[in-house]
Amino acid sequence: MSIVEDTGKLLEHLFRHQSGRMVAHLVRLLGPAHLDIAEEAVQTAMLRALETWPYSGVPENPPAWLFRVAHNSAIDVVRANQRIGQKSNALAADLSRTVAAPLDPDLEEQLRDDELRMMFMCCHPAIPRDSSVALSLKTVGGFSVREIARAFLADETAVAQRIVRAKRQIREQHLTLELPRGSELDRRLDSVLEVLYFMFNEGYAAHEGEALIRQDLCQEAVRLGQLIASSSMTQPRVDALVALMAFQAARLPARTDQTGDLVLLEEQDRTLWDRHLVAVGFRHFDRSIGGNAVSPYHVQAAIAATHARAAGEQDTDWPLILELYDQLMAVSPSPVVALNRAVAVAKVEGPAEALRLVELLAGDPKIQEYYLLWAVRGHLLRELDRHAEAAFCYRAALECACSAPEQRFLRRKLAECDPLRMPAEQEDQLDNQNHHHH
Amino acid sequence: MAQFMLLLYDTQEGRAHFGSMSPEEMQKATEKYMAWTRKPFTRDSKRLGMDNGKVIRSDGGKPRTTDGPFSETKEILGGYYTIEAANYDEAIRLTLDHPHLEHGGTIELRQVYGS
Repeated sequence: MSIVEDTGKLLEHLFRHQSGRMVAHLVRLLGPAHLDIAEEAVQTAMLRALETWPYSGVPENPPAWLFRVAHNSAIDVVRANQRIGQKSNALAADLSRTVAAPLDPDLEEQLRDDELRMMFMCCHPAIPRDSSVALSLKTVGGFSVREIARAFLADETAVAQRIVRAKRQIREQHLTLELPRGSELDRRLDSVLEVLYFMFNEGYAAHEGEALIRQDLCQEAVRLGQLIASSSMTQPRVDALVALMAFQAARLPARTDQTGDLVLLEEQDRTLWDRHLVAVGFRHFDRSIGGNAVSPYHVQAAIAATHARAAGEQDTDWPLILELYDQLMAVSPSPVVALNRAVAVAKVEGPAEALRLVELLAGDPKIQEYYLLWAVRGHLLRELDRHAEAAFCYRAALECACSAPEQRFLRRKLAECDPLRMPAEQEDQLDNQNHHHH
Repeated sequence: MAQFMLLLYDTQEGRAHFGSMSPEEMQKATEKYMAWTRKPFTRDSKRLGMDNGKVIRSDGGKPRTTDGPFSETKEILGGYYTIEAANYDEAIRLTLDHPHLEHGGTIELRQVYGS
């Protein structure tokens, strides 16, 4: 009886992680056009495990067992598949030659390489971004369509469609697992990082329910980032992104209270931050400093590191954070960055100056429907004791698209404002200013 | 203590259900089955082969062997457990939380004599 069985539990996420590696491995043997066969074989292997392990016990080496069964299943599918026709014998012979034994360190190396190549293929520019994300999560991450849909609050059919589109592109454009070279590799790395960042942000967004699956999404983005960071393809900006994601993921346990309501950074119980992830963040942050190029990920990681370094909100080095936002505006300007910069301005120069900046921003149509613009404006007005105007802003924020926890947060803030009605002319004035909004 | 056999039948719905599960869900299900197998009252558990099996009949006094019809039937005997319980009532009570029931399977409970 193995140790695994005695605890009655398998290694956490064993199936999910092995699934991604097995699919990548089989795709290398079968070719990307036969991704479906690889997925089917892997599904069969896990089903076989489910049907036999409860009776026979967990095998000595569960990954090796799964690999062997997936291999054999792939051979069966290839032999039975009419579409593959004459190639099926050659393919089956190919598969039979490969001995799957994941304990072998060389094979371990090969599997990491397969996983990376798979990830880079999923992020090929021929595949639309949302399809890349869905395909990466399904094939490399081992998530099901239903889980991806749940994490993205999307329709299952829509997610399935994205994956179908991605697979069609792979077949039609004859995409391979070969890595691009030189500057093209650099560009591909950028799109891989964008996909990871998007994956992370989707998981991180404050939506209600399904907290676990969203957390898994964040963890998966960090894991894949680490995988790239430990490969020969890595660049300092990879470490910067991993650091940024790790610092933010570390705050997840403190970000909502027991009732699922949002807790702002300044009010978070920092003892709840995940120390291991903070350490991962600093390790990659230190490594990201090598090299001359400063990417937007570098600056964002530096901001997150500054928050992570502070023992409490009052110890936060706001002047440094403001300086970093100035840098971020220089390398990747956007209204959202400007809004975040205004929050730092409020801490350093006071709410009046910050409010002036936010009101300048309010004219930008790109950000008018963004609830945080109104929430920040409301917050600054309250600090200036202009409660009635603050209430108006929180009401405007509530009209923007936001999740249920965000809405509850805004309503709480609204209730904290002075319930007195604001003078009519003042409301008119704000109304004229914000006519776009209603 | 009396002994009872739990005959676990795999159904078509159950198979379809397993087929649509994610790796994470399959792992959770596997762990649940394993946890049940380790309960203190279980004495034995075996999984049956997933092929068609063989059927041997007496055909006019002569034994005749054919391939089993199992894969076409709606319910296939997939495995069995032997458990100890005072009586049927207790055996039923102990069986009610078996994960097989969560996945659309059927369990047949039979007392085993001579044990």
